[in-house]
Amino acid sequence: MTVAVHKPHPHDSAPLHVSGKARYTDDIPAPAGTLHLAFGLSPAARGRIRRLDLAPVRAAEGVVAVLGADDLPRPVDLSPAHAGDEPLLATGTVHYLGQPLFLVVATSHLAARRAARLAGIDIAGEKPVLTIDDAIAAGTDLEPPLEWRKGDAEAAIAAAPHRVRGRIEVGGQEHFYLEGHAALALPLEDGGMEIHASTQHPTEIQHKVAEALGLPMSWVRVSVRRMGGGFGGKESQGSALAVACAIAAWKTGRPCRMRYDRDDDMIITGKRHEIRIDYEAGFDADGRLLGVRFAHFLRCGWSTDLSLPVADRAMLHADNAYHLPHVTIRSRRLRTNTQSNTAFRGFGGPQGMMGIERVIQHVAATLGKDPLEVRRVNLYRPMAAVAAGEAAQTTPYGQPVEDSIIDALVDRLAREARYAERRAAIARWNAGSPVIKRGIALTPVKFGISFTLTHLNQAGALVHLYQDGSIRINHGGTEMGQGLNMKVAQVAAEAFSVPVEAVRITTTDTARVPNTSATAASSGSDLNGMAVKAACETIRARLTRFLAERHQCPEEVVRFSEGRVHVGTNVLTLAEAARAAHEARISLSSTGFYATPKIHWDRTRGQGRPFFYFAYGAAVSEVAIDPLTGETRILRVDVLHDVGRSLNPAIDIGQIEGGFVQGAGWLTMEELAWDERGRLLTHAPSTYKIPVASDRPRIFNVALWDGENREPTIYRSKAVGEPPFMLAISVHQAIAEAVAAAAGVPFVALDAPATPERIALAVRNARAGENAP
Amino acid sequence: MYAFEFVKPKTVEEAVAALREGEAKVLAGGQTLIPTLKQRLAAPEKLVSLAGVEGLRGIRTGDGVVEIGAGTTHAVIARELAGAVPALAALAGDIGDPAVRNRGTIGGSLANNDPSADWPAAVLGLGATVVTDRREIAADDFFQGLFTTALEEDEIITAVRFPMPKTAAYAKFDQPASRFALVGVFVARLDGNVRVAVTGASENGVFRWQAAEAALGADFAPAAVEALAPPPAEEMISDLHGAGDYRAHLVKVMTKRAVAACG
Ligand SMILES: Cc1cc2nc3c(=O)[nH]c(=O)nc-3n(C[C@H](O)[C@H](O)[C@H](O)COP(=O)(O)OP(=O)(O)OC[C@H]3O[C@@H](n4cnc5c(N)ncnc54)[C@H](O)[C@@H]3O)c2cc1C
Repeated sequence: MTVAVHKPHPHDSAPLHVSGKARYTDDIPAPAGTLHLAFGLSPAARGRIRRLDLAPVRAAEGVVAVLGADDLPRPVDLSPAHAGDEPLLATGTVHYLGQPLFLVVATSHLAARRAARLAGIDIAGEKPVLTIDDAIAAGTDLEPPLEWRKGDAEAAIAAAPHRVRGRIEVGGQEHFYLEGHAALALPLEDGGMEIHASTQHPTEIQHKVAEALGLPMSWVRVSVRRMGGGFGGKESQGSALAVACAIAAWKTGRPCRMRYDRDDDMIITGKRHEIRIDYEAGFDADGRLLGVRFAHFLRCGWSTDLSLPVADRAMLHADNAYHLPHVTIRSRRLRTNTQSNTAFRGFGGPQGMMGIERVIQHVAATLGKDPLEVRRVNLYRPMAAVAAGEAAQTTPYGQPVEDSIIDALVDRLAREARYAERRAAIARWNAGSPVIKRGIALTPVKFGISFTLTHLNQAGALVHLYQDGSIRINHGGTEMGQGLNMKVAQVAAEAFSVPVEAVRITTTDTARVPNTSATAASSGSDLNGMAVKAACETIRARLTRFLAERHQCPEEVVRFSEGRVHVGTNVLTLAEAARAAHEARISLSSTGFYATPKIHWDRTRGQGRPFFYFAYGAAVSEVAIDPLTGETRILRVDVLHDVGRSLNPAIDIGQIEGGFVQGAGWLTMEELAWDERGRLLTHAPSTYKIPVASDRPRIFNVALWDGENREPTIYRSKAVGEPPFMLAISVHQAIAEAVAAAAGVPFVALDAPATPERIALAVRNARAGENAP
Repeated sequence: MYAFEFVKPKTVEEAVAALREGEAKVLAGGQTLIPTLKQRLAAPEKLVSLAGVEGLRGIRTGDGVVEIGAGTTHAVIARELAGAVPALAALAGDIGDPAVRNRGTIGGSLANNDPSADWPAAVLGLGATVVTDRREIAADDFFQGLFTTALEEDEIITAVRFPMPKTAAYAKFDQPASRFALVGVFVARLDGNVRVAVTGASENGVFRWQAAEAALGADFAPAAVEALAPPPAEEMISDLHGAGDYRAHLVKVMTKRAVAACG
């Protein structure tokens, strides 16, 4: 029996969120005299700065200082990859429309923004490289194309009895965190700097600020209480604001704060990578994939940013849950004169999966089979069979899949959601429905858990037990609404066997826990939970040793259970035990550390075990479309998702629902548009549509798979942040089924997002026989 | 914002007089004008508020006519006309969000003549009369292209007079993000004729789709529209929310829907 973990505790900040009391970075009361910052932005997507006249900006009301690239104490490269291609302020050339050119420091947010518009800017423009086609033509690869091979895909395809080939284009996605980017810098008396920032990566901010000011990292302290959403958009892109604030604070000696207006946020910051996938597959009469070839083309935007690992992860998920005996995956990472695309929930994984799921749909249509049948014959060999001695099948990158439960999970979901019956009923219904058509699809997810950059898979914690028995925990993860702090508090409460209310959760702070990794890659509770557990166990072991000695009994009889410390037949409260230990001069504070075992990875060869384990899930989605207008409705969704032994089922189900809806938004309604000059046209909610409560599926059944992680993770749970996002691929596939039904053809190559316009045109084109991509 | 003079006259005459002095603009619900000022797309020296002007608000029905004061908000219209002219009530009730509906007015919407606004479709579709401080303007003469109307600089709309239709319906396809009309079609059966007005679609603002009017005049049924070619795609708006041919296609689909909704 557990006291705190595996229980549905509500999010610790929920009452604060709903009552408006939750404090975000921009709500922190600033000292008198705080200055406000705004960037002046490039009006051109590509070219050379001929003239930048900042005199009118300096003369504007409320302006205290204006800084161009030459006014910085030293050149600042914000690149998280240390690529040297992401200056804080443009240096001579501009690379996208919206790139920060100069920094205005003023007495108010409004004064800074107003003044930022007054510069005289003259740019000798060049034709921007905007689209994937432009970039292919211009050859703007960030690095040479990466290719991973397993077996001989070309020969297997050539020898296969059936073949398909095609292309899918999948659009990008704006993060649309409800809280925009924000930072506050407080200069300290001795030249040090204290930063509050809305960031998933406080250590990176600390590092970049220290570098920009020429300070040791120990002189910079970064803290984050919470974010109003991050989704990957605050993994690297918060540096610009924090560094700008730090430099301005250092120059003026006054506190400085900055927040992006929503339009500026959308215009300045990067988004999910748009991708084009060309595919070719050879298969047998059962739909078994014999050989597959993928070519990925990613639109990366103007700087390297996190594009290489994002593109790698797209390749790493090109198999999704399917065993591909012979496969070649080639990837081109293309620089364009647009916002710097970056991390976004799934980190390229969702894009990679869209390719193989399209292949499956295409194969099934070619053979006249239910796509689920084709999926089933290709799923990885089950964990049970591997345990019984059969060889584990390997991924395209050579990692044996030892923990697959996807076959059983898919079977249970198909049964419980009555997939087969409903699919037959939908076919009948469609035959009798003159206009509206329905579609249903079941798609699986297998998502690899761990950062692919192996050294990031570590975490630290600092735990204090006070003499009154109360506990305060610090860890390196950041809270962005995902419930990390609650899960980690549950872990600490469990270690001491006290109610979770006894554990105090604090702001993430680089002065308390150093050298942290970003809260990303779904790893937050896996890594930080383990580090906190280790710290708690150290303290508990000290208490145990002390109590055993004091009571003259073996350590084995000291037990922490049901809110009490049992020493043989003596029963103490944790407060009594803590006070006694303190009086005996026992340390009640400890750090904890965790490094994920077993993983290693060689990205250039595409070989290794990049992932500690896989998280699995599947969804059945049923949609209806009106082919005349292209409107869609998600009628019903059933999800069965594997979170191992859930640390907190309430939070996990919330993450699954939210991830699904965000994924469905990506694939159905969220559409980014730029004009031919490279200006982002969709930079506000009036032009960019994200899903809202009324867009959620009408019937939405979410269940957790009843199992436990095969690997010894924190209480045998599994990561949940990203994997559910990809369950929404089922929506796209169901729409494609409905489009095919409406057009009266077996298969339609439907791109994403499947907006009403794209659906209506797909139906029309397919009816006219223009289906081939 | 920037400095401007603000006056709040009590009568239409005073308002018109105020408009004649200097560079002035009428302010009604401010749902369009205030954002325009904020973005510096207009910078009048003076705003003449209609908030205190008597007699601009309210709805009168009788003698086969519905007269709506120019200062009546979308919300009031949605509520009060639900029984008498459901098509107008439904149109009003689907504009923007509650905040916009509680502030924005029919007069402001018509004077603005946004190519994606809803009211122009109803006014043109019913062949209504726009009543101003000095004259009455037939709908067919009122709308003159994007953001352009027959109004003079100092002219104030006081009311809109709609004939009571036999049946009428408005079918709107939302631009999903802003919920303005990507395409909206108002169809009305009046004594002796059928009118079809389309908003959201055309480069020239609201227009009558005469081919559909003729077809529906002969046979008031969705099938009559089915046989028609859609309006020319090259005259339709092509933008990030939809290409011209998609909009042209939607005009036809929405017209059929409106006809079907007329029952
Ligand atoms: C978020 C949002 C969503 C919206 N969605 C929709 C939608 O879905 N459909 C839709 O149709 N509209 C929509 N609108 C626009 C809305 O209907 C506005 O209310 C309307 O366009 C203007 O009305 P107003 O009373 O606010 O006018 P104001 O903004 O006050 O004025 C608009 C213009 O009309 C002039 N004017 C105002 N009254 C008169 C008068 N009596 N005589 C002469 N000139 C006058 C003003 O001088 C100004 O030029 C939306 C607006 C917003 C902000």
